[in-house]
Amino acid sequence: MARRNGRGASSSKRLRKTWWGYPRENGDVGARNYLLLLSGTLYANSTCERVARTLRHSVALTHPLGRCQIGPDIQRTFETLVGHGQNANAGAVIVIDHHREEGCTADEIAHEIAKTGKRVEAINIREDGGAIDATAKATRIGMEMLRELTNERRQEVSVSKLLLGLNCGTSDTTSGLSHNKATGWVTDQVVKLGGRALLAETTEMMGGEDVLAAKCVRPALGKRIWKMVEEMEERILACGVDLRGSQPTGDNMEGGLTTIEEKSLGAIQKAGSAPIVDVIPWAKRANRRSGLHVMDTPGHGGESITGIAAGGSQVLIFSTGGGHTINHPLMSTIRITGNPLSARLQADTTDVDVTDIFEGAPIEVAGRRVYDEVIEVASGKMTKAEILHEDNAFAINRNGPSV
Amino acid sequence: MPVTAMIIEERDNVATCLEKVAKGGSVRLMLNGKMGKTLKANQAIPYIHKICIKPLKKGEHCMKYGLSIGVASKDIKVGDYIHVHNIESARGRGDLA
Repeated sequence: MARRNGRGASSSKRLRKTWWGYPRENGDVGARNYLLLLSGTLYANSTCERVARTLRHSVALTHPLGRCQIGPDIQRTFETLVGHGQNANAGAVIVIDHHREEGCTADEIAHEIAKTGKRVEAINIREDGGAIDATAKATRIGMEMLRELTNERRQEVSVSKLLLGLNCGTSDTTSGLSHNKATGWVTDQVVKLGGRALLAETTEMMGGEDVLAAKCVRPALGKRIWKMVEEMEERILACGVDLRGSQPTGDNMEGGLTTIEEKSLGAIQKAGSAPIVDVIPWAKRANRRSGLHVMDTPGHGGESITGIAAGGSQVLIFSTGGGHTINHPLMSTIRITGNPLSARLQADTTDVDVTDIFEGAPIEVAGRRVYDEVIEVASGKMTKAEILHEDNAFAINRNGPSV
Repeated sequence: MPVTAMIIEERDNVATCLEKVAKGGSVRLMLNGKMGKTLKANQAIPYIHKICIKPLKKGEHCMKYGLSIGVASKDIKVGDYIHVHNIESARGRGDLA
């Protein structure tokens, strides 16, 4: 049989205003009901993975940090881990640390996660008798948690309960014309129905600050966007690189992008025409106000979407020119492309193909297909990369050196 | 066969050519999926690069997405190839920064 990409979700006539999720005590709704094994430090990674391999329907989040970090840098790791534990896609959480991770202990992380009302347990490898006993303890607790989690049923909830993550990657000239436009259409529908969307990627805002500032409900938010871009440029300049001097890049210009405005305006299409209601730092939890929220994240796809997941997004549209394998282990990640070549080459991980925009299909037609996919994936349909265990995009951003 | 060039917003003065265009080649404009008039390309235009669809005087804004992507550095005629040689960023030139 020939390999078929299909065009993703089947298009329905009327937009669905509800989806099926797992309501949480704090009012959030999960698109998944995973048991999360959250590693507090790199030396607990293997124990987390060992437990996750044993327990069906569990996800391990591991990383190389949590040790020998200082000040705001360890705080950033801590907040990221807490944010993932609080993300509604985690039905219950086991946090595992190794010995005593200053500023990032399993107890402290679990304490913050418990505020959501979900069940959370902390395991310390040393105190619990070493790698094997800690594994056994976590496995036994996790099994009981999963007995409860798998007895819960999805309920019909409003689109207003959705925090839709937005990110693009391997952008090219097709991005602003096709998949980012379709994403923007979806953003508008979600916000019109009382939901929220989360735009990120500060690097892709350079040259588009005016446009974003004009969308802000308060001038102070617009000023924060300007400042955010300026600070990013300064951080990069401190490393001896002038980002403005390299934008658009040689590749971008060869691909037809003439100015930094043109490049950023293409990326900003994902925002649609929704009002910007808040601007937040990396990995901070988004407030509940309906509208578009903006997060300060780097262009690094994995770090950017990790920030978005910590912010509370249950589902993310990853809008890509080159096609992509990127997938967050906890937040459902839908990859879409309008580039015909990429749709073919990366069909294995492309969930929605919007190449018909270049054949004259209106943005709304493609947008509806992406919207339907968002609703279906939020309601339990697995994305291609989720099925394939492409768990490649949990990456914690750093702002300090190791000591 | 004319090459299709996509206009994003009605007030744009550029369109993106969906295939490369030879000098003198014809370009058919498309807006919201509807085919419109046909232009002649005054120069060759590479794959997914832009063509001018409304005349631009030096200093006028070049519009794409209904928004300014820069300023014309010289007068530009309908059918002209639009890129770094005749449009400059209003936010600072990357190569001159």
